[in-house]
Amino acid sequence: MLPTPVQGVVNTIVDWIPLGIVVLVWELVSGGIVATDVLPAPATVGAEIVGLFVSGEVFSHLFISLFRVGVGLGLSILVGVLLGVGMARSDPVENFFDIFLSMTYPIPKTALVPLAILWLGVGTKTAILIVFLACLLPIVLNANNAAENVDQNLVWAAQMMGTDERSILYKIVFPATIPEIMTGVRQAVPIAFIALVSAELIASNAGMGYLILTSGQIGNYPTMFANIVIISAVAFVAVRAFEEARGRLLVWT
Amino acid sequence: MDGRVTISGLEKVYGQGAERTKAIEDLNFEVDGGEFVSVVGPSGCGKSTLLYLIAGFLDATEGTISVDGDPINGPGTDRGVVFQDYALFPWRTVYENVTYGLEEDGVPKDERQNIAQKYIDMVDLDGFEDKYPKELSGGMKQRVGIARTLAYEPKILLMDEPFGALDQPLRESLQDQLLDIWSDLGKTALFITHDVEEAVYLSERVLIMTRHPGTKKTVAEIDLDRSGSREEIVTSDDFAHFKNDVWKSLHEETQTEVTL
Repeated sequence: MLPTPVQGVVNTIVDWIPLGIVVLVWELVSGGIVATDVLPAPATVGAEIVGLFVSGEVFSHLFISLFRVGVGLGLSILVGVLLGVGMARSDPVENFFDIFLSMTYPIPKTALVPLAILWLGVGTKTAILIVFLACLLPIVLNANNAAENVDQNLVWAAQMMGTDERSILYKIVFPATIPEIMTGVRQAVPIAFIALVSAELIASNAGMGYLILTSGQIGNYPTMFANIVIISAVAFVAVRAFEEARGRLLVWT
Repeated sequence: MDGRVTISGLEKVYGQGAERTKAIEDLNFEVDGGEFVSVVGPSGCGKSTLLYLIAGFLDATEGTISVDGDPINGPGTDRGVVFQDYALFPWRTVYENVTYGLEEDGVPKDERQNIAQKYIDMVDLDGFEDKYPKELSGGMKQRVGIARTLAYEPKILLMDEPFGALDQPLRESLQDQLLDIWSDLGKTALFITHDVEEAVYLSERVLIMTRHPGTKKTVAEIDLDRSGSREEIVTSDDFAHFKNDVWKSLHEETQTEVTL
């Protein structure tokens, strides 16, 4: 058995091996089987990424994309938790929204982009709406499932100690559902980035999706690839950061 | 003494129409203030239902349950339940679980601290205040459950097979701890169990219930000399005699179950 810090480094290296293989295959294929002008080499894309950050032109787009993801996801958490818990605690709320959610569930939310453009125009509002709609369902479903299955004994335990019916909701039901709400949010984070880029490809004059589309349209494939890599890396970091935060928040699970 | 529970004409029916099942039928019983009573009966006799009715978690179909003469109406802080599966709040530490009832009662913070510490010490959990329930063993969890219920000082302790999931040595040590606490604090205790030895060892009286629907079959007075050690008590002739009585009475009920 290796000492723990060494073991940690070894594990990290092992974790990154698959990505290394992909980059290696990419390097071999580029300029070989596929021409470099449609598949730029990893080194070219790497240099382009550095260039985009050094010149600073990527920052405003990255910022606006992160803003859209943040607001869209934040709204979906707020509405999703209220709706999910509300549906579990009230039959009229459940009856009203159940049919609506079942009907909209199979619709790819990005298919609503043209309609969203019609209502909200091209830009941030449309992107936020699409991110919000795409993230809403996993959060509602997880929150709803958890709120419906709160251990009855916990509710009784609180009641015997003097907690009234209304306070049960935020003193017992809400904390008891947090782990599953977090599971819903964990599912929603990557979905948020998918919805964001899809919306920005169609309906935006700024953001990472817009950069990917425009650089592709003018045939600037190194820039297009660079932007795809940047947004993928950002989404990856967002997922990891969320998991880290969740671990710290839920020490009790 | 305060904490008298009077049960009269109690009936509990679950479901409606064809699904209708009577869990408890025409039960009349009284537990004196400060008394320790165990309830035994065949499985499905409604003993847990009885406990939840007294707790006020369930509503009686017929009849009344009174505490010191006042009919109960839902859960109240005069009664405290110790649950079989502990029912601790997993997001709260040991300390925060024990102070929950005090917070709800509006007890000031420093006073909460003193009271909580007293009961945490009483169940031998000092040093574990900042642990979360998931970090504790079953026996420790149930001691937290007991401390949490004692902390807000209910007059009546309602225990639903609290040691049912624990192994024998641990059960015995918790039974002795419970007896010490009960005689120190002078509370009324109603203890559900399916273990005849446990019922006889702990109680002044044992209520034996009939099979489905459950009602009072008989009540055994356990007039034991409890001045000695556990070993002296459980090996005494009196203990064997009371245990046999309760066992026979219970066995008649389980026999009916088999012949049916």
